[in-house]
Amino acid sequence: MMNKKMFAIVDATFKVNLEQLTLHRMPGALPFSGKYRLIDFTLSNIRNSNIINVAIFPYGNYRSLQDHVGSGKRWDLDRRRDGLFILPPKNLYIPPEEMITFQRMFEHIEFFKRSTQDYAVITSANIVWNIDFHKCLDEHIKSKADVTEVMYEHIRLKTFIISKKLLIEYIETYDSLEYKTMLDLVEKAPNLNIQIYKHDSYTRTIDDTFNYLKSNLDMLKFDIGRTIFREDRPIYSKEKTAPPAKYLNNATITNSMISSGSIIDGTVINSVLGRDVKVKKGSVIKNSYIMSNCVIEENANINFTILDKQTIVKRDTILEGSLRDPYVTQKEQIVSYFDSLRVLLVASESYPFIKTGGLADVIGSLSRNLARKGVDTTVVLPLYRKIRKEFESVIKSDFTKTIIYDEERYKVRIYTYRYNKVKYYFIDSFSFFDNDLIYGLENDADRFAFFNKAVIELLDDLDPFDLIHIHDWHTSLIPLLLDNSPHKGTPTLLTIHNIDYQGVAEKDIIKKIGISDFIFKDDHINFLEIGINTATKLSTVSPTYKEELKYEYYGKNLTYSLFKRERDFYGILNGISSLFNPEKDKALKKTYSVNSFEDKYINKLYLQEKMGLPINKDAFVIGMVTRIVEQKGFDLILSSFDSLLENTNIQFVLLGSGDQKYIDELLKLEERHPNQIKLNIGYDATNPNYIYGGADVFLMPSRFEPCGLGQMIALKYGTLPIVRRTGGLNDTITRYDHLTDKGNGFTFGNYDAVEMKNTILSAYDLYKSNKDVWNILLKRAMKSDNSLVKSTQKYIELYKMITKN
Amino acid sequence: MVLVGGRGTRLGKITKTTAKPAVTFGGKYKLIDFVLSNLSNSAINTLGIITQYEPYELLSYIEHGSTWDLDVNEAGVSFLTPYTSASGELWQKGTAHSVYQHFRFIDQYDPDYVLILSGDHVYKMDYNKLIDEHIANQADVTISTFKVNDDPSRYGILDLDKKDLVVSFEEKPENPKSKLASMGVYVFNREVLRTLLKEGDNSNFDFGNDIIPLALKSDLKVYGYRFKGYFRDVGTIDSLYKANMDILDKPHYLKAYDYSDFPILTKSSNLPPHHIMGDNKIVNSLISDGCLINGEIKHSILSSGILINKGCKIKDSIIHSNVKIGANSIIEKAIIVENSVILANTILKFKEVTVVDNDYLWKMGEDDE
Repeated sequence: MMNKKMFAIVDATFKVNLEQLTLHRMPGALPFSGKYRLIDFTLSNIRNSNIINVAIFPYGNYRSLQDHVGSGKRWDLDRRRDGLFILPPKNLYIPPEEMITFQRMFEHIEFFKRSTQDYAVITSANIVWNIDFHKCLDEHIKSKADVTEVMYEHIRLKTFIISKKLLIEYIETYDSLEYKTMLDLVEKAPNLNIQIYKHDSYTRTIDDTFNYLKSNLDMLKFDIGRTIFREDRPIYSKEKTAPPAKYLNNATITNSMISSGSIIDGTVINSVLGRDVKVKKGSVIKNSYIMSNCVIEENANINFTILDKQTIVKRDTILEGSLRDPYVTQKEQIVSYFDSLRVLLVASESYPFIKTGGLADVIGSLSRNLARKGVDTTVVLPLYRKIRKEFESVIKSDFTKTIIYDEERYKVRIYTYRYNKVKYYFIDSFSFFDNDLIYGLENDADRFAFFNKAVIELLDDLDPFDLIHIHDWHTSLIPLLLDNSPHKGTPTLLTIHNIDYQGVAEKDIIKKIGISDFIFKDDHINFLEIGINTATKLSTVSPTYKEELKYEYYGKNLTYSLFKRERDFYGILNGISSLFNPEKDKALKKTYSVNSFEDKYINKLYLQEKMGLPINKDAFVIGMVTRIVEQKGFDLILSSFDSLLENTNIQFVLLGSGDQKYIDELLKLEERHPNQIKLNIGYDATNPNYIYGGADVFLMPSRFEPCGLGQMIALKYGTLPIVRRTGGLNDTITRYDHLTDKGNGFTFGNYDAVEMKNTILSAYDLYKSNKDVWNILLKRAMKSDNSLVKSTQKYIELYKMITKN
Repeated sequence: MVLVGGRGTRLGKITKTTAKPAVTFGGKYKLIDFVLSNLSNSAINTLGIITQYEPYELLSYIEHGSTWDLDVNEAGVSFLTPYTSASGELWQKGTAHSVYQHFRFIDQYDPDYVLILSGDHVYKMDYNKLIDEHIANQADVTISTFKVNDDPSRYGILDLDKKDLVVSFEEKPENPKSKLASMGVYVFNREVLRTLLKEGDNSNFDFGNDIIPLALKSDLKVYGYRFKGYFRDVGTIDSLYKANMDILDKPHYLKAYDYSDFPILTKSSNLPPHHIMGDNKIVNSLISDGCLINGEIKHSILSSGILINKGCKIKDSIIHSNVKIGANSIIEKAIIVENSVILANTILKFKEVTVVDNDYLWKMGEDDE
């Protein structure tokens, strides 16, 4: 065939969440099969397809990638003409998308224009495979396709063949057409000839820890290993020098791959070991991937575990994960036998004692589950008047203390109570907490500064803690106070639940709490900022929100402070209580499970009846349970629902309370569509579960969403979420993909009313046209695991990491 | 100047088609890796490699020296091959003569000192310490020495005085005066070296036999440097085997696994990690990348890309790269050279270390018939 040359775009722009493993590295830089990095597969495929003009588009911090790829020499890409280009983002404020956008390519349009090859292959850096791209191109040309998508079985690989001419057209019109990525193009563009090329040998995309461990272990199957590590199309990698692996007298090896420099004196079964790993006598490693420079000490026992580089597993430690959910360590972590951990949680509210929002639920359930998992857990709260009233009969006065605040002496009384194995302390101060309101008083800053000070004084009377876990601005002065107390050195973890509340106050607060050597930046202090600067480690409530906070759109005035602490910043998704269970929920008209989901419609009829909507089994019911505030996407709803509801088969129910401005507008919308919309204003008034059970889809078009619990509850009840890909929504909902039938909901990317409307309509279309697929999604949603047990385990691992290092 | 011309005839079949410096050592290394890594680790990156015998393999192995970070501008690795000069000299007549022939190469860098090395020794050494001592002593020549444990009469033996000045030097003496032997590592002041080489008999001459005795006679300041580390001249099959096994049995000698600040660099094989299949006892052994192993390995050293089939028992052996061993074979005390193919059920049990190659195996097959 004539001039059928290709250049290659390696897409390393999107984030995948492999927990700790991708905390500080891009997926392409993940070690694989002992001595490779993931990107080696794609680069070697490119080299073996004789492609010599390659651009890698990296995301954010690409130092480790740059270090690994270098000049591209290993892949014969250090050339005088063409060669390897790493093209970084010019605009750092665009958060990553599902895959490389045309906008991102436009930033380096020169590369595309200068390329002399007529075709482009766009592929990603996180695929384990061995493919000849020229075969794809041959097919592409033969079928006269405009775009060829490369797939393996039912897996989409974000790999496409397109002519240079057409690609440049789409790049240059990125801001006028609605196609942001190649995925959009394949899905939405009319009049394009789109072909699928099915690659037929082993392929796996590495997008979670399960796939990562699984494909590493797959390399131990002889037949699979040989299709990847072929002699005719070798996989090249940057090579480090280490002596051959050394086996001492007690080594027993069963079906394992072991890299250079390792010294083995234990038992290794069905595992892959990176370079320079030391396995000491008596230890057993099974079904695990051990990255380079790890040490497994005597008699440790490891199963289904991924150890990041330089992890030390202390003697006698037992690490047990599963293939689906492997135990994962963080780089340089020291893991030791879990004896006991004593943790103090300090917050402004905790269920069941006091609750104004989601924070109380998190503290209440996290503390309960920690205790259940054997962590010695203590919680300290202020004794608000409301708690005193409701719990007076059970809480017990323990002792009194004198706290000096603003050079005055205040007497506080300490109450205690043991609730579900959790030890609670309540700090009673007539001057500060004896009020009906929890927040919103003029002296909030003083009240919580005093609370922080009192907690530090209380430490004198309690056994020492391994770690103090503080939450939001109300407790953010604790690390600073700790540093100026006899308890200096106790590690702290600050969890940010919502960056919008920061506690800005007059700077004399610092003097009042008795700290004299503080350097002020301006006339005010910011509690949360002080916490961010002084806590040992930071976390927030979802991995995506953690990433988003690096951008000013989300991180606001604290973006820079958080950026400085990037290496100490974690994202741990909250979970929902096991009480959310459609099998046992008394608020439902009819309970149901994965096996009897057909009964769900009875709850729809009940919902319609209860809300006063026309009762219709076939109507498409959109549910929402939320605070009615700007963040939750009401601007989108108000500007698109009139047109959406032209389809009279769609019904909408909303339960919530909040901003009068939005409520007024929503009521007007309700008036315009009385047979399709029913509002139930007043958030605390009713148990909302009949909506979770009765609706077909659950809408959350949030502008930002740190974690979000509504979508998790909806999943549990088989009500498919329609969400914007932000924060915790992005971490829990994978979008329905019609090519592969994957996903557990529907998503859109831009904060845009038309995109939201189109997404709802596409969900509606699927609901109407293909019940089989809908039911597959529904069942998959009900099986999603967002349990508290899981998130508690992640917190325990983080606690251990903080206290042991 | 690295001398790699030696043929290594005493290594028999191992050097049948390769130069001695290209001989496999310790699984994944070649002998030449040691001197090149020492240079790299000593931050010396201007070197001439003098080759003569079977140069192709070495040339293609070393290339520009990038493996050892020796590919720098204005310096780097130069291969100095024999050439015919206008005056009609045809062939290098000895180690020293080859340096003499290439003195123009030395002059082009205008160095103060010239370090003479061999490409076939096993040791880890920072040459800067040697050169520093040479400078501190204001010496004309410094000979690096090591302490011999076995029979000193195999080596060039030096007798040093209290200030480390060389009193006497004898090649392979019958009654050695000390246990200090020359490592074949020398530092010369450039002009001293030029003069010595010119004065040398223009026939067959080399450093140990001719130049050093000449220097001693010439009233030059010849010092000895006492190298304290591990050093092996692996000139015979027996010493090669022993030095290999030292890595297993005496890990504190070469400290091969303590390499972060003084690594022995070797060219990448681009192979996946080795794969041990089935359920196997691997005891006290070294195994390199790309091997597929389904047998029992005891006290052995395996290079890369080796296939060992089910039921094999390998003991006390050294196996070079890309060897294939058929099922249920038993190998003891053998050195199997590159690319040998051993059929299933072969038994090679030796009392003395024996080198096995395809010819040997071929002959064995014929004998059987």
